[in-house]
Amino acid sequence: MNTLTTLFVDDEKDFLETILKRMKKRHVNAYGAESGEEALSLLAHTPVDVVVLDIRMPGMDGIETLKEIKKRLPLVEVILLTGHASLEAAREGMESGAFDFMMKPVNIDELLYKLQDAHKNKSIQESKIKHLESKLKR
Amino acid sequence: MTAKVMAPMMKLGGIIKRIFSWGSVNPEEMEKLRLDFKERYAYFKQLISANNKALEIMADIERTLKGERPFGMSFVRSSATTVSANVFQMVKKLQQLAPGRYVGLIPRYDDIENKINWILNEKKQIRDAPLVIPLGSIDKDRVDLVGGKMANLGEIKKNIGLNVPSGFVITSSAYRRFIDHNHLSVEIARQMQLADLYDIENLYELQARLHQLIIESELPRELEDAISDAWRKMEAEAGSGATVAMRSSALGEDEESSSFAGLHLSELNVSADHVIDSYKEIIASKYSLQAITYRLNKGIKDEDIAMCVGCLVMVDAASGGVIYSRNPIDIHDDSVFINATWGLPIAVVDGSVDSDLFVVSREPPLKTIHQDIKEKNKKLVCYPLEGVCRVDLTEDDVRNQPSINEQQAVTLAQMAIRIEDHYGTPQDIEWAISKKGEIHILQSRPLLQMESLKQDLPEGFKAKQKETVILKGGITACPGAACGTVCTVDSGLDILEFPEGAMLLTREAHPRWASLLSRASGIITEHGSFAGHLASVAREFGLPALFSVSGALNKLNNGDQITLDATGRSIHKGRVEYLLNKAKQKECLMIGSPVHETLKAVSRHIIPLNLLEPDDPGFAPENCMTFHDITRFIHEKSVHEMFSFGEGRNFAERSSKQLHYQVPMQWWILNLDDGFIKEVREKYVKLENIASIPMLAFWEGFAAIPWDGPPPLDGKGFMSVVSQSSASTAMTRSLGPKYADRNYIMISKNYCNISSRIGYHFSTLEALVGDQRAENFVSFQFKGGAADSSRRFKRVNFIKSILEEHGFRVETKKDNLISRVEGHERGYMLERIKILGYLTLHTRQIDMIMTNSDKVDYYRSKIKNDIGKIISAPPGAGDS
Repeated sequence: MNTLTTLFVDDEKDFLETILKRMKKRHVNAYGAESGEEALSLLAHTPVDVVVLDIRMPGMDGIETLKEIKKRLPLVEVILLTGHASLEAAREGMESGAFDFMMKPVNIDELLYKLQDAHKNKSIQESKIKHLESKLKR
Repeated sequence: MTAKVMAPMMKLGGIIKRIFSWGSVNPEEMEKLRLDFKERYAYFKQLISANNKALEIMADIERTLKGERPFGMSFVRSSATTVSANVFQMVKKLQQLAPGRYVGLIPRYDDIENKINWILNEKKQIRDAPLVIPLGSIDKDRVDLVGGKMANLGEIKKNIGLNVPSGFVITSSAYRRFIDHNHLSVEIARQMQLADLYDIENLYELQARLHQLIIESELPRELEDAISDAWRKMEAEAGSGATVAMRSSALGEDEESSSFAGLHLSELNVSADHVIDSYKEIIASKYSLQAITYRLNKGIKDEDIAMCVGCLVMVDAASGGVIYSRNPIDIHDDSVFINATWGLPIAVVDGSVDSDLFVVSREPPLKTIHQDIKEKNKKLVCYPLEGVCRVDLTEDDVRNQPSINEQQAVTLAQMAIRIEDHYGTPQDIEWAISKKGEIHILQSRPLLQMESLKQDLPEGFKAKQKETVILKGGITACPGAACGTVCTVDSGLDILEFPEGAMLLTREAHPRWASLLSRASGIITEHGSFAGHLASVAREFGLPALFSVSGALNKLNNGDQITLDATGRSIHKGRVEYLLNKAKQKECLMIGSPVHETLKAVSRHIIPLNLLEPDDPGFAPENCMTFHDITRFIHEKSVHEMFSFGEGRNFAERSSKQLHYQVPMQWWILNLDDGFIKEVREKYVKLENIASIPMLAFWEGFAAIPWDGPPPLDGKGFMSVVSQSSASTAMTRSLGPKYADRNYIMISKNYCNISSRIGYHFSTLEALVGDQRAENFVSFQFKGGAADSSRRFKRVNFIKSILEEHGFRVETKKDNLISRVEGHERGYMLERIKILGYLTLHTRQIDMIMTNSDKVDYYRSKIKNDIGKIISAPPGAGDS
């Protein structure tokens, strides 16, 4: 599997800084964005495997951002990570195509493991597509 | 064996037979299948991991429900959300494994989710209620609008007719308007969710952030208008330039068991210029360190507390204090206790000065039966324009003079009795006497009385006590005894350093130390009376407290171990056992609290397990009543779906290999992913080539000690086997001789699923063991047997007791056993798997001897010995 590239989207700067630092220590490629809008414009030109999204953000909220990402880049996996404990939000997020829903504060290893799972899903989908393409060519 | 038990075996046997059979496939299709399988395995693993997480949270909820440690609504919400998200994940993954099947799960999930949401979002709302209301039009029935403290005060003014300052209350409806206007509730809940409520440093930061958030918020326009309107009306009555005392009156406050004494802010002598700022400060005090800790320890919901604020015309007091209409620390003493000091009564409640005590007997004619006049070296007075200040008392005759006279004491006692009679319960009353000599009642709330703890120490101990005593005297604020290491607190920052279980020593009995009461073993102060707020809270928590101990700060040193005997009013060197034996246990306050009740209500839709037997016709989506049922159902079906993959397409033959351990074994292995060290081309896979950590542990336990053969039978056991096995041979034959005794294992490096049939019982072991401690789990199911049902049930219970000894959670129903252990580190998990490997072999046929107690004892001790040997053995290949 190629190396994992992630994008963390959170309006809380402190959180973002800390998590990016911790990801780098664990050799995970990690970008940061402070809003849904910023995340979408970054995704337009940067390949990312997994996006980790906060739900409550000013401007575009997490669920809207998630829907937009799934529309533009269906293969990119999205994990919702939020301090907002709500069954409705969890449900809506998962139905809109989120890979998983996690509560803050999150155990960093658990998050890492989840990122790898999401990445694996993406790789499998990609190789299935490749297989299909090569079949069509013949 | 009964037909019912055999049914799933036949089903599984059939499926496995098809998967593991040989056939030819073209490479193109094979590649497609390989990819599909990889995808399914990824879903399956994610499903298992969600299952594991959901069960882990359920176990956490169950532990928390025991009420041994405090928790807040953020715990309730985040656990419910996490379980729900993981169960939904399982539903989703099962649909990916088996599209279009099991759709009946979705309405069940929706229904359970709705029920939980309904419990979590319940709200008390008063619509169209006034934002501000004059004190004169309040009585105790308006408690939902004005909070307990102000409702009581209104009641005293309106229905008892005692003198209460005039003023108005900013209502709970105003509070909600303020919160909604600034969208505070979601943000506050989010901040609370992020904070570690058990870490005091974290709480300290939380308090600062929430304070800031509230202070920076704006009052809605209509609320500001309503307040200035009420202020003008009050000035018309009390004269222009009047100032007020602003008192918090939280909804839910002033109930007998939850006093909230002094935890929220009151601001004295506030002028018109600062009423809005003070209002916000009081709202913010809902999130003071001591208030958060208090609610957490008592299981009170944050969202249930609406902060109402009373604004009462300020009484510039000549003297003031607190009356207890009965003795708070002796339920049999009905005398009235009056604490009084010079100046404002706040000096008594915040414990900053020593106060005079008058005890008035209730028998008519009322008279003072005891008085204790203290030296009062300062008092609190109003500044002319705004605010209060401390004034040192220098003249000897003022310092040592009683702050009220006997006549006043009797009048105060009469008022206290009137209030008590009106409410029918003992009262804790704050009062002030103006410079003109008028008595004002400022507050009244139910008084918590304690059983007195009389000490009858045997004669011998009295002499012994003399050897250990360091200090004597003081006032019992809360009876009891405790031992701890002295820790002096002086500034707010000392709170951060306060160790768990230390003895709190401080100069004044200030309410801000209330945040330490859940961590301290006892409290000792140099000043303060049993009428202060800190004393009230200490009594609520049952924490031994001795106040007003002169010389305590000098005589006691940080780090000294001491024993506090608050009942006997003495402090001792070291640990004095005989004093501690008398002490009561600290009570747990969570059980029955609103937060606990909410968790209990929510857990009813999460935890109970109704679906047990997969072969039961009732094992169906529509019978899933709880999240636990859904996880159980999905887990069972997902294993099934994994096995049935490739059915009819002859897929699994490339990966299924027969285990070769010394000789070829009746164990067939399906490699899901990375379960083999190197690829296997031939028919057999050697044990040395197995990479699956949990499978190797299983095998180690399985092969560790040879089986002694079937237990010697007694006549009855033998008959029982004969009659049962005549039924089961038919079953076995129908499976075909080839498959009857085969065992199947699915593996990856960190996972295994082992279905085995040894003798006449059927067991499934599933395990995930890796470096992710939180992901680790082992689950083990066992059923069946050759003997009659009562012996089989006995064997299941026999196994249950062994598993429980080794840390498993076990449920049994008839001859079916389900057990689980999770969340431990790898070494521990592998030991559990070894035990299961051993038991899989060695419980073989022992159902037959289950009614013979001697033999049961023999096997119990043999198994115990064997397990001891196995888990103390040096780590095997799987442990590296």
